[in-house]
Amino acid sequence: MTVDPITFAVVKSGFDSIVDDMAYTVIRIARSEIVKDVMDFSAALCDADGQMVAQAKTIALHLGAVPEAIAEVIAKFGDDLHEGDAVIINDPYHGGMHLPDIFMFVPIFHDGRRRAFAVVICHQTDVGGRVPGSNASDSTEIYQEGLRIPPLKLFERGVVNRTLEEMIKINVRVPDRVWGDIRSQYAACQVGQRGLEKLIDRYGADAIAGYMQELIQYAERLTREEIRRWPKGTYHFLDHIDDDGFTDTPIPIKVAITVREDSLLVDYTGSSPQVRAALNSTRSYTQSCTYLSVRCVLPRDVPNNVGVFRCIEIKVPEGSILDPRLPGATAARALTGYRVFDAMLGALAQIVPDRVPAAGEGGNSVICISGLKPDRRPFIIVDMICGAWGGRPDQDGVEAITNPSQNLSNMPVEIMEAEHPVRVEEYALVEDSGGAGKWRGGLGIKRSYRLLAPEAVLQLRSDRVKFRPYGLAGGQPGGASHNELAVGDEVRQLPGKVTMTLVADNVIRHRQAGGGGFGRPRERDPELIREDVIDGKISRACAVRDYGVVIDAAGRIDVEATRTARRGLPA
Amino acid sequence: MSEDGFLHESKVSTTPDDPSRAVIEGVAALLDEIGRSATSVAEVLHGTTVGSNAILQRTGAPTGLITTMGFRDVLEIGRIRMPEMFDLTWAKPKPLVARRHRIEVPERIAADGSVVRPLDEAAVDAAARVLAEQGIEAVAICFINSYRNPVHEQRAERIVRAAVPSFEVTTSSAVLPEMKEYERTSTTVVNAYLLKAMRGYLDRLQSGLRRIGIAAPVLVMTSNGGMLPAAEACRLPAFVVASGPAGGVIGGARLGEALNESDVIVFDMGGTTAKAVIVEDGRPSMTSEYEFRDGISTSSRFIKAGGYMLKVPAIDIAEVGAGGGSLAGMDGGGLLRVGPESAGADPGPACYRRGNDRPTVTDANVALGLYNPTALAGGRLAIDRASAIAAVERHVARPLGISVDAGAHGIRAVANAAMARAIRAVTVERGRDPRDMALIAIGGSGGAHAADIARLLGIGRIVIPPLAGVFSSVGMLSADVEHNFVHTMLCRLRGIELQSMATTMAGLAEAARARLAGDGYAADRIQLDWYAEVRYEGQASELSIRFAPGPEAIETLARDFAAEYRRTYGYEDETAPELVKLRLVGRGLRDRRLDFAAMRTASHGRKTVQTVRLASFARDQAPVQTPILDRAALDEQPRRGPLIVEEFDVTIVVPPDAVARRHPLGSIIIELETTT
Repeated sequence: MTVDPITFAVVKSGFDSIVDDMAYTVIRIARSEIVKDVMDFSAALCDADGQMVAQAKTIALHLGAVPEAIAEVIAKFGDDLHEGDAVIINDPYHGGMHLPDIFMFVPIFHDGRRRAFAVVICHQTDVGGRVPGSNASDSTEIYQEGLRIPPLKLFERGVVNRTLEEMIKINVRVPDRVWGDIRSQYAACQVGQRGLEKLIDRYGADAIAGYMQELIQYAERLTREEIRRWPKGTYHFLDHIDDDGFTDTPIPIKVAITVREDSLLVDYTGSSPQVRAALNSTRSYTQSCTYLSVRCVLPRDVPNNVGVFRCIEIKVPEGSILDPRLPGATAARALTGYRVFDAMLGALAQIVPDRVPAAGEGGNSVICISGLKPDRRPFIIVDMICGAWGGRPDQDGVEAITNPSQNLSNMPVEIMEAEHPVRVEEYALVEDSGGAGKWRGGLGIKRSYRLLAPEAVLQLRSDRVKFRPYGLAGGQPGGASHNELAVGDEVRQLPGKVTMTLVADNVIRHRQAGGGGFGRPRERDPELIREDVIDGKISRACAVRDYGVVIDAAGRIDVEATRTARRGLPA
Repeated sequence: MSEDGFLHESKVSTTPDDPSRAVIEGVAALLDEIGRSATSVAEVLHGTTVGSNAILQRTGAPTGLITTMGFRDVLEIGRIRMPEMFDLTWAKPKPLVARRHRIEVPERIAADGSVVRPLDEAAVDAAARVLAEQGIEAVAICFINSYRNPVHEQRAERIVRAAVPSFEVTTSSAVLPEMKEYERTSTTVVNAYLLKAMRGYLDRLQSGLRRIGIAAPVLVMTSNGGMLPAAEACRLPAFVVASGPAGGVIGGARLGEALNESDVIVFDMGGTTAKAVIVEDGRPSMTSEYEFRDGISTSSRFIKAGGYMLKVPAIDIAEVGAGGGSLAGMDGGGLLRVGPESAGADPGPACYRRGNDRPTVTDANVALGLYNPTALAGGRLAIDRASAIAAVERHVARPLGISVDAGAHGIRAVANAAMARAIRAVTVERGRDPRDMALIAIGGSGGAHAADIARLLGIGRIVIPPLAGVFSSVGMLSADVEHNFVHTMLCRLRGIELQSMATTMAGLAEAARARLAGDGYAADRIQLDWYAEVRYEGQASELSIRFAPGPEAIETLARDFAAEYRRTYGYEDETAPELVKLRLVGRGLRDRRLDFAAMRTASHGRKTVQTVRLASFARDQAPVQTPILDRAALDEQPRRGPLIVEEFDVTIVVPPDAVARRHPLGSIIIELETTT
């Protein structure tokens, strides 16, 4: 095919606009806060063989898992895919990631030939299992985690499969929400289908197929050109998950990146074996995290598609936390993915040091509170707390921000209070939680919840209580996470991962880790420290201890005292 | 507009130090030119970018925020998302109120409106005094759940005013009594931030107008296309931030009605951006929130980041960073890009020869012969075609190994594709087929691109109104005075207690009538339009359904909502619809409203010489000798392209596969012969 540069540019923006249209459709009609407010979903377009071509500005980490999932779909159905079909999957051992994430694939046909797939993945509020929200980190077998769906057709030639629909609805705690969200996925896939049909009408099916390949090769070309400029060698990094919640044993995530001529080898040998808790990350998710990490240090104009993935070879030990075997539980696999991202960035910082920030908060915390409202209807809050970035080579870390590997939003306090029996008592930045450095890490976030129902189950997943977010280039680690329960005036410390019963008026307080610092704290401009003190982002004590800067009561820098204090700091 | 219905226009350069000066000088010059006295002016209609500029340039008043204990950082936390993925260099914009100026006070209202913790009045008084010491001039007050019960905010407002009488004060319940604390806080803060700038500007404008003898009332265009008396605009500047482009949209809607085109797309292409809005049944599509940000809005409208959230009714405009001044060039991967960077008015396109040698969309048009090779703006702006050609050659044609014509068409094609995307965002994305609509093209560059963009979208008919280049002003002449009233219901549509709904509606109607009577509208010039914001239970976004009060209202609403939902999303839902909000738009029908069916323009006598020149209309076709005409040279008899209409404010390109005619009402209608 001859590539016309103009048509190529037009078609590329056509794909981008299709996937954005799909994502917007989901937001407009989904039912659960986790999708419509927190935006834990994603949308993409794949070619006829399931190679991802374009993705919407949604959860980045979902999409690297699409190739494995779609391979399962094609392997199972082959040519038995038709116009109007929609295949769903959630089982981690059949191409899924964890049970709450339901993938939907809709094949798109033109003149009787399959030309593409529209893909939408939504995190469902509940898929059954032993704990509301289906997201517990203390499950030990996949069978406890909820309804497993291998590749099955939910729609056949446009007609819903009532058997499967009823099976799903009877197995989940909030069927209206789950079914409403699944409907939004189907509607979005149809939007994708209509969008692609228009492009095909305009340019022809073969040309569009050709430009899909060209777009993939374009991404691959840019990626290889970039890697060719990187210093050759092997770069190691080790990070940890605190523990799996059953024991205190730290869980290592170890990575070695080898820069070859124009490709990378990423080797996870030395990472923890599969764990008992639900922290196991499927191979597909591990790959997704790996691709994403590399993508974040590539130039911004590289399209994110399978062309980038082709430049990265990944070795994962079988039976490890990064490639578990049945019946390993996976609900909280996101945490492991975040640590893969952190470890990858730690290694990449040695390759392209001017592009990589110090560690961020280490992934969103998940706070799930569920029970019965006074009218006996069930409620499930799945709240995700974000986030802080580490200091960067030329600026401070962002605070109150999604982890860059996702693109989450937050749940408005007033919506949560209007729909669920809780009262949020605080939602704020945590003073002194940003790691000190020439460029400070972003402050962490805290949020607290008072239960207004008689009883509820709390399931809290957080990390970075023991292993704080690392600093880079002499920067300090970010502040640690912390959880506590207040019963009246009595305050009890909680571990990082908790499943417990709450009663009315219990208050749960979560404080998330802050970002690590970048560069030596003594090099930080005292004026920035003064500003932070005035804004209450760092305390005067912290200014002296970490930065050697003394701010007087009137908010001025005490130059003499500062000179003395800075002399005492490590060089 | 003079009393005989003639429109007279003048376009002057802005005076950035005090924008009111250019307005007053322009008005005085125009009155002089047409020989009218200042005292004969009955009404001044005004659209302004003062609000948006104050935010962009950070020139609003130093602002403080008083909020509920525990929620000092709501404004800074925002909605957490980032506008672009994979970008580790992104910097979040700083909030309009720094943390040191955000003060918490003990108080708490529950989600049902009950008081959990009474307001600590001494703490409010102390907060006001601290802010005054910090040099703060405007204060926003926003408490959690105040949309359910404003009592604490109202009390706090009185205390703050008493403590520091010089403060400008805004409460969130007075600006936006709606759920979602970030959106409400942000809107309230923007309002407080702009109070002083808006009042100062409108005061200067009004006193300047008086100085030249104009004592007529000043009405200001709001973001949603209604006119607001200047005093109201001073109180609620957050509603006037997107005042600038709204006039053209309202004008497009009214013009469409006059031409019997009730469903149209208004497409406004300027120097830096292009905007698209759909109008259905004569009404522009509206949104209840938007993000105001630096630079260019992305076409991803679900991204909440990097801007200042305003949850106010606004015309739902999709904007892309492509306009006449957008710069073209190659990216690192060898892909042709156009925009979002713009050469602006200064240095402007390469053909201006003012120091920019990179090609813009305008340069592509000049190189292809579509624009006059020696002068633009009706002869007032001299240009150099050779510079345009050289810029295209050097930065696009040579790197791609193609001819200059092919490169220039490439620039147009990429820009057109981006602009088509804005139109798609407001049509296809909402289940509307652009092929069913006419395209009204306005703005300085609209006429040169409308035909190609229409072809991309399968649109068959294009309308270029008279005075297309200053149509935002023309449109204001056709707008009404509007006041918006909102009441949050949040209940199942079918479970509504009719009596209480009737009481609520009566209260809203009374408030609207009182406000309009205060503006001087007699009962027969007042129109009340009712809208219900409806969704299926559990959804986050509503569809706005217009309804008529009466015993059948609920049934009709349910039916219309289901139909609209099916139209928008392509399926029927079986769950219960929920009524989220009742919205009342009280309209004061202006006596001197422009009627496009009777519109006449006075801009004759500026004829360009009728001539021919070589122009290239498509990449795969050789340039053709093309007649260059004046609008007056066209009549109702359709005339086949190629032809180019040159006017003082726009150039209209009619390609070979199109026919053009002049409608009796003055608009040029272009019909494309081959559409897909």
